Amino acid sequence: MASNHLTGIGRESKQLATWYFTFAAILFGAQLLFGLVAAIQYVMPAFLFEVLDFSVARMLHINALVVWMVFAMFGAVYWLLPDETGIETVGIKIGKLLFWVFAAAIVVVVLVYLFIQVGPADEMSIWFIHEGREYIEAPRWADFGIVVVALGFVANLFLTGIKGKQTGIVTVLMADMIAFSGLYLCGMFFTDNISMDQYWWWWVIHLWVEATWEVYVGALAAYGLITMLGAHRKVVEMWLWIEVTMLFGSGILGLGHHYFWIGTPEYWWEIGALFSALEPLPLVAMFIHVLYDWGKTQGEQDAQGKEVSVIRNKPAFTWFVLNAFGNFLGAGIWGFFHTLPQVNLYTHGTQFTSAHGHLAFYGAYATILVGMMYIAIQGTNGIKVMNHTKSSIWAVSLLTGGMMGMTVALTIAGYVQVLVSRAQMGATWAAYFDGQSGIWFAQAMDWRLIMGVVMFAGFALLAKDFLTTGKAPVHQR
Amino acid sequence: MIDPSVVRPEIALDDFLPIFVSSALVLVFGGFYVGIYTAVKVNILKKWTMPFAYLFWMLTAYCLYTMGSLMHVGDFTAKALVIAAIGLLLLPHAVYYMQDRVHKENEH
Repeated sequence: MASNHLTGIGRESKQLATWYFTFAAILFGAQLLFGLVAAIQYVMPAFLFEVLDFSVARMLHINALVVWMVFAMFGAVYWLLPDETGIETVGIKIGKLLFWVFAAAIVVVVLVYLFIQVGPADEMSIWFIHEGREYIEAPRWADFGIVVVALGFVANLFLTGIKGKQTGIVTVLMADMIAFSGLYLCGMFFTDNISMDQYWWWWVIHLWVEATWEVYVGALAAYGLITMLGAHRKVVEMWLWIEVTMLFGSGILGLGHHYFWIGTPEYWWEIGALFSALEPLPLVAMFIHVLYDWGKTQGEQDAQGKEVSVIRNKPAFTWFVLNAFGNFLGAGIWGFFHTLPQVNLYTHGTQFTSAHGHLAFYGAYATILVGMMYIAIQGTNGIKVMNHTKSSIWAVSLLTGGMMGMTVALTIAGYVQVLVSRAQMGATWAAYFDGQSGIWFAQAMDWRLIMGVVMFAGFALLAKDFLTTGKAPVHQR
Repeated sequence: MIDPSVVRPEIALDDFLPIFVSSALVLVFGGFYVGIYTAVKVNILKKWTMPFAYLFWMLTAYCLYTMGSLMHVGDFTAKALVIAAIGLLLLPHAVYYMQDRVHKENEH
């Protein structure tokens, strides 16, 4: 992502954003690569045995997922901040320094995961290898580094937001990002009681992905609709506040659906059921949001007799629309059908969860962050109207088609586990193995691997498009 | 042959598929409801299609009922599902009303 056209107010901040996006895109590739290794190991268990075991490949896969998304989120904020506030990001030099600290720390952590992998069950491993907690396994030294970087990022955001113009989008981001950063602290300490430990760990995972990250996506969607369609700011921002209310209103106590089986009191059943039932509503609302603003803005254009599209960045807009659908499908539908305790008793910990996790992370977050990367490419290359290239169309089709295929395959595998391992055989040790030895489960895993390869091909084309689309002749300059 | 004594009694084996399908359809039909409603309001679809939006809401409510019945949800969860269905019915009306007010204030 060349930054040759970045001039004027916000140049430094936008340059920093492109660094974050570039590193995020590299980690996205790493995430898919290690996911592919883990998928192969489901089909051929001996693959890379004792070299890169499934547990390590999976750890790298899901930690790379979280980290690339956090990098892209920080990048997106640094990109939009000057546009929203009208000033250069305050303390940008510290922001740039912290980027290098953050990137260097992640490289060291990944190398340790790859080459050291595991250590003895003592404090040394927790401090220097990894903490053994899904999604946020960074060793403790890196935890403290992440806290320092997050504080610097929040300081950049707050100082700029206070000094510059205070739009609704920036205000929402200021509140959201402090919660997002603060929640990380809940995953930094251990208790001897595993129930209590999980209780706090879920504060990070759930309150990130079903509260603060969703609100963040709402703010990005608002910025994207204004930037790409010229949608009315007042309408978009009013809508954003509704989404924030609904997302926090249902999402925070939706936390209860993670507390069904970890040893927490039974009242979490009722709390989890009620708020989980309400959680799809804001996702439906976000879906209307895009449809409403697109329809209104295009309608106004058509009424003036101008038969041109209002969309100024077609690849980005495609990814934003996919976000609205993907969020609804992955987080909404695939989340809702196993969120109530009565059925979650059977689906918990099966490939259903995996199907939901894959489609939700892709639909709700990967899509909009890739869209933001395209907005940055448009800005850095001085493109007035950005069109699709063949690579961008193939990339979005293969990535999304691969993800849908993978989700369906995992859902079938999960269904087999529900019927055999849980309902028929009562969740015994033997049931676990019987569920996974059936032909339906095995074939579903084959298809998951094939779809993973399709996704990886899509990513290769996406990377090619990121590197070349800036100079493509299809755009209006 | 599986020993019937280890089959969990809460949900019948044959009910799992209808539960998953009906709960997926809750949101599919719900999406059609709000999608058609919004598309009609912003003139993407013709006005005569509006009854189809409400038809989809009724299908949503029916699927919620089916899902809840097959799962044998308790009184509290049943009430939560009713609230969710009513919330979905009201949501696009409330949002469109507010959006349109702000849109008009912004234009005039």
